[in-house]
Amino acid sequence: MNLKQLETIKQQSQKKFDSYKASLHVCTGTACVANHSFSLIETLKKELKKRDLEKEILIVPTGCNGFCEQGPIMVVQPDGIFYQKLNEKDIGDIIEQHLINGKPVKRLFYKHPTKKTPIEQMKDIPFFGKQQLLAMRHRGQIDPEQINDYIRMGGYQTAYNVLSKKKAEEVIQTVTKSGIRGRGGGGFPTGLKWNSCRDAVKKTGNIPYVICNADEGDPGCFADRSIIEADPHSVIEGLIIGAYAIGAHEGFVYIRKEYPLALKRLQKAIQQARDQNILGKNILETNFDFDITIHRGAGAFVCGESTALMASLEGKPGEPHAKYVHSTEQGYKNMPTVLNNVETWANVPLILQKGSDWFANIGTGDVTDNAWGGSTGTKVFSLVGDVRNTGLVEVPMGITLREIIYDIGGGIPKDKKFKGVQTGGPSGGVLPESKLDLPVDFDSLSDAGSMMGSGGMVVMDEDTCMVQLAKYFIDFLKEESCGKCTPCREGLTAMSEILAKISEGKGTDEDIALLEEYGETMKVASLCGLGQTAANPVLSTITYFRDEYEAHIKDKTCPAGQCKPLVTYIIDPEKCTGCTLCARNCPTNCITGEAKQVHRINQDECIKCGTCKTVCNFDAVEVN
Amino acid sequence: MTEEQKITVTIDGKEVSVDKDTTILSAANSIDIFIPTLCHSELVEPYSACRLCLVEIDNGRKKRLVTSCNYPIRKPITVKTKSERVKKHRKNILEMMLARWPNVKIIKDMAAFHGIKTPRYTSPLQDPQENACVLCGLCVRACEEDIWESALNFANRGPEREVMMGYGENIPQCEGCETCMSICPTHAIDMDKEDPNNPFDADLMRKAGMKLTREMVLLDDSQCRMRKVGTAHLTEIMDEYDLLPVQNYRFGSHTETKNIASDVFLKNYLTQGKPDGCWQGCTMACAKTADAFTLKTGPYKGDQVVVDGPEYETVGGCANMGIFDPEFVLEFNFYCDTYGLDTISTSTGMSFYMEMFEYGILNKERCGGLDLQFGNSDAALTFMHRMAAGDKDEFIQVASKGIRRVKDWLIKKGWGDKQIIEDCGMESKGLEYSEYVTKESLAQQGGYGMTLKGPQHDEAWLIFMDMVNNQIPTFQDKAEALHYFPMWRTWFGLNGLCKLPWNDVEPENNAETDEPAKVPGHVQNYVDYQNGMTGGNVDKEGLILQSERAYNWQRAMNVWMGRGTRNDDWIPYRSMGPVTKKEYESRKDRYDTQFVEQLGFTKQEVEKMSIEEKIQKLYEYRQNRYQKLMDAVYYRRGWTPNGIPTPQKMKQLGFSDKKMLSMLQKKIDQDQEKGLNSWGGIYGDDEQPPTDKDQYWLEW
Repeated sequence: MNLKQLETIKQQSQKKFDSYKASLHVCTGTACVANHSFSLIETLKKELKKRDLEKEILIVPTGCNGFCEQGPIMVVQPDGIFYQKLNEKDIGDIIEQHLINGKPVKRLFYKHPTKKTPIEQMKDIPFFGKQQLLAMRHRGQIDPEQINDYIRMGGYQTAYNVLSKKKAEEVIQTVTKSGIRGRGGGGFPTGLKWNSCRDAVKKTGNIPYVICNADEGDPGCFADRSIIEADPHSVIEGLIIGAYAIGAHEGFVYIRKEYPLALKRLQKAIQQARDQNILGKNILETNFDFDITIHRGAGAFVCGESTALMASLEGKPGEPHAKYVHSTEQGYKNMPTVLNNVETWANVPLILQKGSDWFANIGTGDVTDNAWGGSTGTKVFSLVGDVRNTGLVEVPMGITLREIIYDIGGGIPKDKKFKGVQTGGPSGGVLPESKLDLPVDFDSLSDAGSMMGSGGMVVMDEDTCMVQLAKYFIDFLKEESCGKCTPCREGLTAMSEILAKISEGKGTDEDIALLEEYGETMKVASLCGLGQTAANPVLSTITYFRDEYEAHIKDKTCPAGQCKPLVTYIIDPEKCTGCTLCARNCPTNCITGEAKQVHRINQDECIKCGTCKTVCNFDAVEVN
Repeated sequence: MTEEQKITVTIDGKEVSVDKDTTILSAANSIDIFIPTLCHSELVEPYSACRLCLVEIDNGRKKRLVTSCNYPIRKPITVKTKSERVKKHRKNILEMMLARWPNVKIIKDMAAFHGIKTPRYTSPLQDPQENACVLCGLCVRACEEDIWESALNFANRGPEREVMMGYGENIPQCEGCETCMSICPTHAIDMDKEDPNNPFDADLMRKAGMKLTREMVLLDDSQCRMRKVGTAHLTEIMDEYDLLPVQNYRFGSHTETKNIASDVFLKNYLTQGKPDGCWQGCTMACAKTADAFTLKTGPYKGDQVVVDGPEYETVGGCANMGIFDPEFVLEFNFYCDTYGLDTISTSTGMSFYMEMFEYGILNKERCGGLDLQFGNSDAALTFMHRMAAGDKDEFIQVASKGIRRVKDWLIKKGWGDKQIIEDCGMESKGLEYSEYVTKESLAQQGGYGMTLKGPQHDEAWLIFMDMVNNQIPTFQDKAEALHYFPMWRTWFGLNGLCKLPWNDVEPENNAETDEPAKVPGHVQNYVDYQNGMTGGNVDKEGLILQSERAYNWQRAMNVWMGRGTRNDDWIPYRSMGPVTKKEYESRKDRYDTQFVEQLGFTKQEVEKMSIEEKIQKLYEYRQNRYQKLMDAVYYRRGWTPNGIPTPQKMKQLGFSDKKMLSMLQKKIDQDQEKGLNSWGGIYGDDEQPPTDKDQYWLEW
């Protein structure tokens, strides 16, 4: 495969694409697939065939569209009409009314969250408005299972140009100057990483490796999965360029086994690339050899940590080790290794294609002389939790949390109050309303006690108890800690115990200080990133929601009404009509009272399940 | 390491200069700064799990906490091991440990030292046992890195983490070597109750075992490389010192030795790349394995087989047959093992037959059509296959019984010169020699000759002590060595123990001890072993006494059976010096020099003499020297000049069996009548036999 052939394929594919009157871009990301988008496609095919439209209308099963909340999603191009929450029985209408008669089906449009007006064009939907697509540049445009679709978008031309025209040093320089920092959590400047690996290779003569970390383990985070599902070739192209820059001939993608669709598409993509001589020996008609092996992770969260990942890749238990000697010097099999995550790799071809200045101009800070000087480019976030528009968003660095949550995310549902947002996965911190105007970049987030992480963003409304929340994440991390080092293993155990005590109203005045002290020890004394950041949910909630902790400890109350031991259900004698409904439904039979008489809850036996409150027709059950 | 590559760091205000990549912990220890650790041991790689060894480093730009056990020094840094920050976090970590393991001594002690009384929270994981596992991972790493078995590992994650064997079952990889038990800081590991050995003091034995493990882990790579290549590492060393038997001990080195050197096997044939011991707990693990070796001959031709990696003696035996082909070595090794043959006896025997073939004493016709030339590997293997198949050919029948029978057969047939046959056939007491050239080491000649069971090197290996290091110059010195070492080595046999851990690795300070050749530090291991096993209270001398009793009793039994005399300790001249012209000429400079330096000839006289004359003169000199050595050794051992243990000596050793004592006395009386109770050596004017007293033992 050379540039000419790539160009030919590109033109032929484009010509073929243009030969259709319209194309139906049906999202086949995991969320839409879960909502039956595959059977939607089958129905589409059938219906088009019935009407003999297959030659005129093209169906493109795409990767994640991002607006997962509204799935299944279909975008009709070239008009850009956005259909959402589709059902098989809607297909007929779309074909008849829209495709044949040219009248888009209004009832299937997205409605503005506040104005409730239907929005026809995808570009006019606020969710997409402030997004800027770099890593997800082909979102909704290509079929991830067709290499020619990727080539149609100009894919692999950058890799060809790099391999045949650029020196490795130039590639590294471009990446360094772009200011891109690792999207996997640490935010280490990618160019510097590559450079120190190349130095180690030069010094030792060892053959290095490149690794793509696709072991995305944060609960509620699906950025990497979606990128692979939507555009696997962008990752492959990034790996080719990275391998060339450091002189690697073997690459690995470490991917969670819980990502079957991403795995399937990646396998397919690698095979297609091999078939086209884009992977293998003398790739892209150069004398450079490079191939990629997929390694499936077994689901341990800690294996997302780079040294644990490499240990796992070597067939050893997935436990981290010290990074005093960097992986770029001694990584996989003790050889120099560059490990980046999916999103970083997906950005690489774009940086090489458009240049470092173009990339560095997006985002914040000045990275001209210092790769640590800012946060450039964009970042993909999985926007979830108590927010109207959940989904996958890609935004320029420096955008505020408020813009993401309110403008893109549409705000908090049911008009509840915003309480906090957690960024960076389970070991990220929770930021309060006062931080909503914080620019989202690596340094601002960590200065505020949270982190960028791999792009999780969980929004919480007023009903969230911060003690419960901290305990939830601490318990998650406790389960997922490898248990090797003392501060992480025992510190998380201690924190979980203390938080449980507080949420049961048994906390003492010293507990907050102890949590802070242990949190500090875990931060500075733990072996790997997991332990070092594990205390963030506790420390940040203590910082920003200390009064809530104090309420639990001093007043023995849970302001959010979530900590069961701290709430009591009582029946308001004024409102109770003695209908007996609550008593009949109580699972522990702890409600007493004659018919037509005021009922009473026996607090000793009440398990606080809330059934009485739910069933009461007179709003007579109150929570204290 | 040059000075430039040294890096100077400041630890708690003290400066120390270290090599690049030295850890902070070892730098601190080198200047007596103590840093607490739990999961660290020099026997295994740093693990940095307990985090107690935290220190604060300052590189001029920023300060941070690192674990000293694995932080490699690469730049001049300032280290504080007791800063407020370090103390605070170290204390918190210890508090967490104490909350979990409140009764483990090592944790309690460290916590108390750091001023912690009671933890500020109650751990749901609290384990009140005194010997609770503290998850330091020392056992797991020792099993993996030192024993190379990985019978133990961590299971589960986070708070559930625990040490276990695979699936919580007893797995066959564990042979009960107890390394894990020994390295465990809390005695958390126990053996199955059914331990049949039931030692009196297991801890004492374990201590000795761990001493050895430690030395193997830390020193073997720079000493004998037993773990990497096993005894085969000797091949190139023996060749270098002219001690490798080549063509039936005629020569001591060969240009082709490099083809069968240890690295050839290591690189091309030893496939498993890990130590393989007689039992899996052995840290020395000198046995090696060559997998998937395809046989070229014999009943298993074409089969892929597993061959035990060759030991030195096997490789040396092949050199002795003049064969320098590693694949022959493996094939020969395999078929010896398969046919139940000893590689040493087989190769030494074959070397003798090959020499006889070279001289025409044997020929194709006389040896069943075999073309037994030196270096003919096909003939050597065919001989073995035919022997194993029960071939009725007369030579093969006799040869299968060894050199002594072939000598007798050749003499009876009247083929060849009797003297040549006796001098060249390397056997004594009917046993074939093992694979060392002993010509230049008188003590080793004695080591082979003055044994009870024939010329193996199991009783004494004194070549380096004698020839290379010249540590035992006099007859008395050699006699002392030929008393001590056979007794000491006999002790291994008596106790069913391997000899290699005694001196195939040596303590770091061995050279500084009074008697480095005895490796006193390791003799103590065996003292501890026996006392630990039996509950006795034996000392180093006591061990030798145990052997001496057995050794003398065996010698007395030999006498009873009509052997055990001076004549029986005869050795063939090939083991003393050059038998043939070719041999003399090959080391002419050496022998000519010895004529001047040892035999008192002038250079001119030596030049005038013919080779035959010189061989004859050297023959007489060296035979007499051996006789003088026998005199000295017998005297030291408490025997008569005819090699008979005296009743006086036997009584001293505690024997009171009247039948045995009177038998010995009777033999001595008979010898007296025959005049055999006088010294065998011919002594010059300035020389003296061990004693002038007639029947010296009567005074004992």
